[in-house]
Amino acid sequence: MALAETLDARQRVAWRTPILILVALAGAALLARALSGAGIGAARTFLLVFGSLLVEALPFILLGAAVSALIEVFVPASVFARLARLPRGLQMPVAGLGGFAFPVCECGSVPVARRLLLKGLHPSAAVTFMLAAPILNPVVLLATAIAYRGRDVMWPMLIGRAGLGLVVAMAVGWVVGSKTRAELLRPDRGLHEHEHGDAQEGRWARYFGQLADDFTMLTRYLVVGAAVAAALQTFLPQDVIGRVATTPVLDVLALMVLAAALSLCSESDAFVAASFVQFGMASQLAFLVAGPMIDAKLVALYGGTFGRGFVRTVAIVVFSVTLAGALWIQVAFG
Amino acid sequence: MTDRRAVSPLRVATAVALAAWAGLFWFLLVSGRTSLYLSSRTAWVVPTGAIVLTMAAAGRLATLRAVRRERLTPRTSWALGFIVFPAVVVLTLPPTALGSYAAARRSLSAGFAGPALDTGDRVTLAAVAAGVWSEEARRALIDRAGSQVTFEGIVTRREGSPADEFVLTRFIVSCCVADALSVQVRVVGAPPGRFEEDQWVRVSGTFYPVGKEVVVAAGSVRAIPQPDDPYLNV
Repeated sequence: MALAETLDARQRVAWRTPILILVALAGAALLARALSGAGIGAARTFLLVFGSLLVEALPFILLGAAVSALIEVFVPASVFARLARLPRGLQMPVAGLGGFAFPVCECGSVPVARRLLLKGLHPSAAVTFMLAAPILNPVVLLATAIAYRGRDVMWPMLIGRAGLGLVVAMAVGWVVGSKTRAELLRPDRGLHEHEHGDAQEGRWARYFGQLADDFTMLTRYLVVGAAVAAALQTFLPQDVIGRVATTPVLDVLALMVLAAALSLCSESDAFVAASFVQFGMASQLAFLVAGPMIDAKLVALYGGTFGRGFVRTVAIVVFSVTLAGALWIQVAFG
Repeated sequence: MTDRRAVSPLRVATAVALAAWAGLFWFLLVSGRTSLYLSSRTAWVVPTGAIVLTMAAAGRLATLRAVRRERLTPRTSWALGFIVFPAVVVLTLPPTALGSYAAARRSLSAGFAGPALDTGDRVTLAAVAAGVWSEEARRALIDRAGSQVTFEGIVTRREGSPADEFVLTRFIVSCCVADALSVQVRVVGAPPGRFEEDQWVRVSGTFYPVGKEVVVAAGSVRAIPQPDDPYLNV
């Protein structure tokens, strides 16, 4: 009798959470419909921007998680042991060019870099890969060339984006290089601590376990990042950006800040940068180099993956090195 | 020998979360609502997302049985609910595009690069946008002063403007709605009080570029339903 009651109580507890979640989801759905249906402009703008950022980023999060799981389950550890033995000075540039092998954009490169780090790659190399791959990959460079085709600045923009992207990524990699893996990564991160890694599980069960684990972890942070980006875009008028278009240095900073607020995908951000005709070449280049390395959604993804201070380090190094590099390229080739 | 592995509730819940997102992507694809969120340039992301999310959900469903007992804790359930929440919200949103609220905050102040008109081309809103910052595009517009045009967009109003005037607004999207910019045309001689803000209209009339602004003296203004492609993709 007592046992039956205990089981009964357990069943009730087990069902209570899913029912509460379903009720909350239904409430959110009704609210979304009512808010934007009533023509409340701010709510509609927020939800459309929020939705568009998620729709654009989510498939790449999943593809990144799929590559990360592939590395974990199917690539033998000896490959990474061999890579890890290479000198750090060689690991970094090789990792920076890794995007040509794994053409991932910025959302996808986060889980892959984390996996490479766990597999023994030097922290400098893993971070360099994470920041460089979304720029130094064939898809992104081709999109940049198409966006600027027919303009005098096409080659300086293309070479500038690739070159400065590599330099900035290596600079961040060098700065975080003194940290150990444990210091760099956030310790408690997964939902599924006990789901994978069990040798008795089949390969595919482990593969989908890893994939689901990375996907659920990163999507949580992506949702937060997309919400912050959408709120920034809904409530801050973008018109102010145009006012500093002809002020030296401030114009470059303004487009880096705009890139961070917009949180566009690196596969297509060049088309947006090319339209900022009010701004000079250095500003557009800074938009294209800093944007894929730090923006509202990436801050959330980094925050969920890496430890304290990582976001701050990346922001400071990316903004300062990009600013200096973009100005120099403008003077030299613009 | 019997298989002692039991279905893991944690894996079922994860598969449901993946399936919910896959469902959203299939819905966007089938309903044609992709154009509310992405430009034609990035629309390929939706079929790609639909396929990879379906494969991931199917893969998780095919490997539901776990060797060890896996619990679905309330914390994990809430975390998965949080992931599903935006999919549900986007799924239930009415199919309305950006409106007048966004128009005021997303002007072309940072610039816009579009194609200048060639001889014989129709005057389009993209060409009007290009004329804001490009001298060449503006000259091409001036050459067409007095010609007949037809533009589609939403009605927005400026404070203090006469009753027979409104601003026709259309958004230009290069990548996704996050980069939407508004191109605006002043419509004069419209029937007063007939059109509310955010109403989609088709305006036909005579076109006059005045400095950086474009004015259309309305011949006819008709209410229309929201087009399938509410944003211009340049």
